[in-house]
Amino acid sequence: MSALQANVMLRQGAFTLSARFAAPGDGITVLFGPSGSGKSTLLSVLAGLKRYDRGSIALGDRKLDDVAPHRRGVGLVFQDARLFPHLTARQNLAYAQCRAPRGALNLGDAAEFFDLSAILDRPVGHLSGGEKSRVALARALLSSPEFLLLDEPFAALDGVRRRSFIAVLLKMHRTWRLPMMVVTHNIDDAAALASHLVALKDGAVVASGEFRTATRSPAFTALLDSRDEGTALAASDLRSLQDANARSLWLRADQVLLASEPPGAISARNIFQGEIRAIEVESANSRLVELQTQAGTIVSRVTPEAVAELGLAVGRQAWALIKAHTL
Amino acid sequence: MISAVEAQILATSFKVALWAVAGVLPLAVACAFFLSRRFPGRLALDGLVHLPIILPPVLIGFLLLLLLGRRGPVGAWLEQVAGIHLAFTAAGAALATAVMIFPVFVRSIRLSFEAADRNLFEAAAMLRAGPLDRFVTIALPLAGPGILAGAVMAFATALGEFGAVITFAANIPGRTQTLPLAIYAVLQQPGGEAEAMRLAVLSIVLAMLGLAAAAILQRWAARRLAG
Repeated sequence: MSALQANVMLRQGAFTLSARFAAPGDGITVLFGPSGSGKSTLLSVLAGLKRYDRGSIALGDRKLDDVAPHRRGVGLVFQDARLFPHLTARQNLAYAQCRAPRGALNLGDAAEFFDLSAILDRPVGHLSGGEKSRVALARALLSSPEFLLLDEPFAALDGVRRRSFIAVLLKMHRTWRLPMMVVTHNIDDAAALASHLVALKDGAVVASGEFRTATRSPAFTALLDSRDEGTALAASDLRSLQDANARSLWLRADQVLLASEPPGAISARNIFQGEIRAIEVESANSRLVELQTQAGTIVSRVTPEAVAELGLAVGRQAWALIKAHTL
Repeated sequence: MISAVEAQILATSFKVALWAVAGVLPLAVACAFFLSRRFPGRLALDGLVHLPIILPPVLIGFLLLLLLGRRGPVGAWLEQVAGIHLAFTAAGAALATAVMIFPVFVRSIRLSFEAADRNLFEAAAMLRAGPLDRFVTIALPLAGPGILAGAVMAFATALGEFGAVITFAANIPGRTQTLPLAIYAVLQQPGGEAEAMRLAVLSIVLAMLGLAAAAILQRWAARRLAG
């Protein structure tokens, strides 16, 4: 599949978007940033719905700059599902399918995949929020895009419905090998989905690359609320995960306990041994201890007293303990 | 009950109004669609479309005569090329009526284009639908009930056109004499008040029916757009 490459500049009043990045053709790239950082604007630019002043966009080896939105082969799932109100769910899906290139997906298969078979003949006004989101997703898939952009499609969903939507998104990505770029400002959603990251702040890319590496950069950490500070751990390295589908998991510094000796009988399900790489003075009464483990870097927030009593120091071994229920 | 003469007046009225509405519909839809979008020269087009409301109807009829009368530049050409006469014919009455109802018609259609969610066009574009495709499959169906309501309203308005019609098409019983023209004619005769009253009641009933139908269609349109 095709990678999406962009180097674009756009001035909009006082706001300037200046973004340069490459989203791989075989992964899920999360476009992360606080609200107002230009995520949705960037998606509109990539989709061709918004013009930019300078730069270029390419999908694989195809330049998209002078290509109309409907000829780009780029799909876009909006925050509000934007289903056509004069059509039923089935007709919404057919609208996409009959305009897709040959060899497109079967409508029935897509409906079954997204668990829509029972509601296909309802007018879209009679669908719930979650159903609307799934119809929008199925509709985008049926138009057989080469690259799919998603603008916080789960923003309106909460809790369980949000998790199951993300699971569907991951399954859809794996089943059809469809490269995606997903906008979110939620770090947990980002970790669950992302193979790669593009982080935006005030219209500029401040971090990008493979997700677990790129999230270690100080510029990315600066985007996070201090309570969200942490690192991404591969889901396969963790035991007793509540969300079995997630790609990785955002482990907050506050969710990690440290021990200076191998812990004995203890209820924690996930224990990682590693070497202390750094101890950062965060404030008068908190220290961030960075541990290099086999599963990657883990950060723990502890008090200065704990650092002293446990004798934690750079180069020493320590054990990180994570309670399964916090995952 | 309605007399034979009254039936003929009604038939002429319906014929003229129907031709006027049906004939001007495509142009009204096109104008309304463009006016609901931003483009250079929009204000000029908007002004032109509204001209018939501002000018005296008699003047519209007179301008049509100058242009489309037998000796007018377009009228002479039409007669030579296709043998078509418009002045003093039912077709001419329909044309004069069409010009007069055009602004109201365009306005009501335009409102329903503007009420449709623009975001849906973007959504359609992202599903590989081109501009014409989007107009036919999204804009028109969403505006459909609104266009129908506008057409009913325009039809009711058309039944009442007077000044432009009488100037351009004259008041010929059985050919161009519509309801308002017939009322005017009987009022010119001594003792015609009773007949005028009968025609007036007919006019009012028709107008009320038209308004009611338009209101019902508009409500349907709003429901459809709400999704």
